[in-house]
Amino acid sequence: MKYAGIMGIIAGCAFLGGSAFKVHAEVRASAERLKTGVVLAEKPAVAIANHAEASYCTPKFKEVLARVIHACGLDGGDSRRGCQPADVKTLASINDDDFNNLFTPLKDRGGVVMFDDASEKLDDDGKRMIEDLWLDRKGARYFFILARASKTGGADFNRSLSHKRANSAFFHIGDKFKEPDLDKQVGLLWLGNEFAQLGQDYCKWNVSRKNKPCTAEAINRSAFVSWVDCQL
Amino acid sequence: MYSPYAALFRDKYWGGVPISLFAVGAFAFFAAFALYLVVCGPLAPRRATKFFGVVSFSPLLASALMFTISAIELGQFCKTCVGIYAASVLLTIGGIGVLVEGNRKGPVVLSADKPEDRDVHVATGKPEVAIPQGALWFVPIWLVALGIFAITPALLYVSALPNYSNYISDCGKLQKPGVDNPVLLHVKPAGATQPATLFVDPLCPTCKAFHKRLEVEKVFDKLDMTLVLFPLDSECNWMLDKPFHPGSCLVSKAILCADRRAMDVLEWAYDNQDKLLEGAKAAAGLVNVRAMLREKWSHLDACIDAKETKVRLDKMMHYIVDNKLPVSTPQLFLGDTRLCDEDSDIGLAFTLRKLAPNLRQP
Repeated sequence: MKYAGIMGIIAGCAFLGGSAFKVHAEVRASAERLKTGVVLAEKPAVAIANHAEASYCTPKFKEVLARVIHACGLDGGDSRRGCQPADVKTLASINDDDFNNLFTPLKDRGGVVMFDDASEKLDDDGKRMIEDLWLDRKGARYFFILARASKTGGADFNRSLSHKRANSAFFHIGDKFKEPDLDKQVGLLWLGNEFAQLGQDYCKWNVSRKNKPCTAEAINRSAFVSWVDCQL
Repeated sequence: MYSPYAALFRDKYWGGVPISLFAVGAFAFFAAFALYLVVCGPLAPRRATKFFGVVSFSPLLASALMFTISAIELGQFCKTCVGIYAASVLLTIGGIGVLVEGNRKGPVVLSADKPEDRDVHVATGKPEVAIPQGALWFVPIWLVALGIFAITPALLYVSALPNYSNYISDCGKLQKPGVDNPVLLHVKPAGATQPATLFVDPLCPTCKAFHKRLEVEKVFDKLDMTLVLFPLDSECNWMLDKPFHPGSCLVSKAILCADRRAMDVLEWAYDNQDKLLEGAKAAAGLVNVRAMLREKWSHLDACIDAKETKVRLDKMMHYIVDNKLPVSTPQLFLGDTRLCDEDSDIGLAFTLRKLAPNLRQP
């Protein structure tokens, strides 16, 4: 019986020691994994939330977009608001047709807000179009207003008119929605009559004056507005 | 599987000290004691057999308690737990057997240490074996030994634990807190003091489980909560190319529309999550989800379709983009410190105590 007691004690010590050793070793191993970063390395990579990236965001489109953003003050590094026609020619470095074609994929995403001759005043349809498009943001990062003027009148006058039209659209968004950081979301481009005039084909786009005659002159008295679903 | 009952001192040590460790030590003792009884055979002291028989019930009592908690509180059973329950039942059966066998051997006649006093059994002709009673002072020694066995693995476990304090606040910060952001939902129960921002998907099972954990830990009502909906559903979430939780955008809109009762709709969605997901994945798809919403929250119907609701949900997700958060749910920020995913389960109590000591005060 004495031997039984001794055997019991030895067995007990062995069982306890074995289980304790196992527990200790497991915890130390996990501590080591934690310390050496093995746990982190094993974690699957998780995507980081970002803006939408549509299929039309081609390298060329993004190049122009990036240049506009940097040159027109959207990246916060410049207080200047918008780009002048001269800037556009320099920053885009492409001809009229290629420039316009860049925006073709936005045909269904955006709309052409039309103005009266020699006027920058928005009509009700134009305002509604801007509001509807603004609210349809989804995952887009930038909202572009690309204003134009027709060839009627002098170059300086049209350049100024184009600028005013861009501002009309921009100010309407500001007045209507009163959102902070609007400056960092909206990019303005105003083109005079010397660059990237639209052909009459653009009358088939989503225009604000659907029931009125659309001519090659009329389609250029406009501001094309659209969210752009590209990451930069 | 998460159980607040699975470990002790969860506030003090990350993950707490698993209760099963005490079982490991106790079973080691019982195994050794059983070996002692087997080697002793019929000459095992009566006090030893009685002691073994009586204390062998203790694991069964503990198992019965944990089984009841699992069945009633948790509604599920872990594999290790079931193993321990089975071992406890077997041990108790063995203990009863030892008790019965010990009683069957009749009263002690003489001390086994005095062979000259042994009587001769009439029927067999063999000397009757005298069963020793055993010294009484062995009983407290065995009890102390059982205690030492039970706590030793737990003590070693605690001694080997790394210092988790260095890791729990290392999972990111909320760059743009949304306390004053009108787009986000704000839920502040009476007496809530701890600012927190919670990103959830109403149809995400992990979010549902995490919500329950916060309730079990009794901290949910102490959070001055900014609630951000992050549906992992490509219908409204441009970051995904396929829906992980179809119908989630629709339910998120309903939560937004509920405004002050947002938490009620969220909890309803959690309670009916399986049905909602099943409905969304069926042929009729979102129509099923819409019908369930209409049945329970008919007054939200018009608001769900409103353009303003869609815009608000868009803005909510832009808030997530602005904060450069991982596309995953749930995510909880205590103040501006992100709760690590690894700390949202068994390490939750410890992490809450460290990151927000106010939450752990009664």
